[in-house]
Amino acid sequence: MELSQYAELFLAESREHLQACNQLLLEWERSPAAGEPVAGLFRAVHTIKGMAATMGYAGVAQLAHRAENLLDALRRGGRAPDQAVLDLLFRTLDRLEQTITAAVRGQHAKPADDLALELDRVATGLTERRISGPVPPIAPAAPPPPSAGPTQPGRVVRVVLRPDAQLKGARAAVVLGRAAVLGAVSDVQPAPHTLETDEFDGRFSFTLDSAGAADDIAADLRTAGDVAAVEISAARAAPDPTGERRQGELGRGRHVRVDIRHLDALMNLAGELVIGRGRLAGVAARRQDPELEEVQSAIGRLTGELQGVVVQARLTPVWQLFDRFPRLVRDLSRELDKEVVFRVEGKDIELDRAILDEIGDALVHLLRNAVDHGIEPPEERRRRGKPREGNLLLAAVRERNSVAIQVSDDGRGIDRQAVLALAKREGLVDRNAEALPDDLVLRLVSRPGFTTAEAVSEVSGRGVGIDAVLTRLRGVGGSLELRSSPQAGTAFTMRLPVTLVVLRALLAQVGDERYALPLTHVAETLELDAAAVTTVGGGDAVILRDRVLPLVHLDRLLGVTRSNGMPSRRPVIVLEVGDRRTGVVVDGVVGQQEIVVKGFTAPQGTLRVFSGATVLGDGMPALILDAGGLV
Amino acid sequence: MSHSVLVCDDAIFMRTMISDILTQAGFEIVGEAETGVQAVEKYRALHPDLVTMDIVMPDMGGIDAVREIVKLDASAKILMCSAMGQQALVVEAIQAGAKDFVVKPFQPSRVLEAVQRVLG
Repeated sequence: MELSQYAELFLAESREHLQACNQLLLEWERSPAAGEPVAGLFRAVHTIKGMAATMGYAGVAQLAHRAENLLDALRRGGRAPDQAVLDLLFRTLDRLEQTITAAVRGQHAKPADDLALELDRVATGLTERRISGPVPPIAPAAPPPPSAGPTQPGRVVRVVLRPDAQLKGARAAVVLGRAAVLGAVSDVQPAPHTLETDEFDGRFSFTLDSAGAADDIAADLRTAGDVAAVEISAARAAPDPTGERRQGELGRGRHVRVDIRHLDALMNLAGELVIGRGRLAGVAARRQDPELEEVQSAIGRLTGELQGVVVQARLTPVWQLFDRFPRLVRDLSRELDKEVVFRVEGKDIELDRAILDEIGDALVHLLRNAVDHGIEPPEERRRRGKPREGNLLLAAVRERNSVAIQVSDDGRGIDRQAVLALAKREGLVDRNAEALPDDLVLRLVSRPGFTTAEAVSEVSGRGVGIDAVLTRLRGVGGSLELRSSPQAGTAFTMRLPVTLVVLRALLAQVGDERYALPLTHVAETLELDAAAVTTVGGGDAVILRDRVLPLVHLDRLLGVTRSNGMPSRRPVIVLEVGDRRTGVVVDGVVGQQEIVVKGFTAPQGTLRVFSGATVLGDGMPALILDAGGLV
Repeated sequence: MSHSVLVCDDAIFMRTMISDILTQAGFEIVGEAETGVQAVEKYRALHPDLVTMDIVMPDMGGIDAVREIVKLDASAKILMCSAMGQQALVVEAIQAGAKDFVVKPFQPSRVLEAVQRVLG
């Protein structure tokens, strides 16, 4: 049997179980008296053991077996675990994850002998304490009771199991079960409970009160499997009852696992179909053929439905990502001697699988930052009149066209004076500036390499981290916002499109090219009044509803040369990212369209204002402008 | 006519593997269950010719599920899927009415032999 085909399924499912284990262990750590977590842990580890053994990953199976023994002892003992045991279990989960990953990749994992010994030692200690206590030992269940009354006269049946039989005691139980159908069974030798021990060599005997012929009885008992020999002393006959069977109706499971690559391929195909739909609509509009229009409308509707279903199939609840963070925050706060209450909200909010995969590292950065730099040590918090425990919240919220994911803490906030001083030193802000608004702070801390000296530690350097976060977010069409107040805390908010690949965009013309602007960030469009343009801070701007709107001339930015001269009336597309706005001056607005985002690797030296490329309804390519990079 | 099978295991991995072994041998998988409660419900709805039953499952374990199924249908044919080290539990399951057992890691030949024994 070819096992490699099951490796990915094994890996995915094992990881789910390990994640669940981490959750359960954290729960147990919070309330050690609770009984449910250990039962769940036992089941999950047991399942991993069985799967690993089936895959032939002996190292994983052995470690899981050891962990299972310890969990079993804890479960049966019914006592609360101490911190040392919890830490041991946490370490075991980490090691299991490592050995599983190594096994699936075909690498040789470092054997976990040290850990296995420790698990055995603790489990043995627990068992001994339990046995010496008042708790009665767990007795194996008795074999099937013979029909009531004293031992009846009958024939002695001797059975020898095959030497290679697995679980000989259980096999004996199967044989005894078959025998009990034929007649009353009594006087089982050796005693039933020794059948279940390792010493049982597969030879046993019993008395059977049956009217059946010896050969029939022997033949029947042999069908119990793994029977090498049956010997019977005398003979009579008995009926063999057979049950009825009914054929059931079909009813299969409602979920299947699908390789993400199939979903990617489906999504791309649906995207191509959307482009084709756009072209078809264009052709139908020109031909003015009612039949063609009817077909176009039907295909358009079906394409939309198909796309909707594919998008739906790709949506993944954020808990699949979030569930690994409580463990991370716990380990980090212990390492840094912080006391942190971590809450997670909005776990059922869904995002496209690919987006979820992209933001994992970014969230780790933000959470690390919060624990390391945001939340103060307990003593400092107490001095400042705050509770010793810092609060850290990870929350997902569904907004109109996007999902917001916020990481907020009630720590000390970003040190604006330090950021300001550094910014002045590097000439990034005016020397007379006295305060920095949040958006400027974000822009400063997210410059590559920007970091205040005290904010660097082995856990995270704020400057580098935020830069990395922003890059990843822009890659999936997201944005990042910062709110921070001294002593009250810091909140980072990511805004993400719900789906990655298809989005509605405004198409703008500049020179001979068209560019796509994702509607997520388009606030409004205006007509540019050349007379109203003023200069603010060295750049063009207009006043819009009492607020300064900085302008970006896309033609100048992109170095566009026009064959037809500058149009007289020029629209301004107002982009909004967080509470920052910028007006993008273009030659014309072509319209709205659903666009399919194509993978885009910007050539070296390309302006950082493009987030991707697409193919428009007429088959022509266009670049997608990144609102975050323009505003 | 192929025999119908209900596969009960909390791991998709195990269900997939058992289903593949049995399907390749010409059996028809008519249902899957990932908890003991589901196993009983699906048995009631489907009346399969054979049930493969994991011992450790959430929401009612395999042994209790065997007891419930046997109450519904005394002739139910249930094959326990066990791991090494679960001898006492397998014995308990057999006494509760399971017909046979296989031990993980599964060898297809052993699984099919056990199935043939159970179906008689």
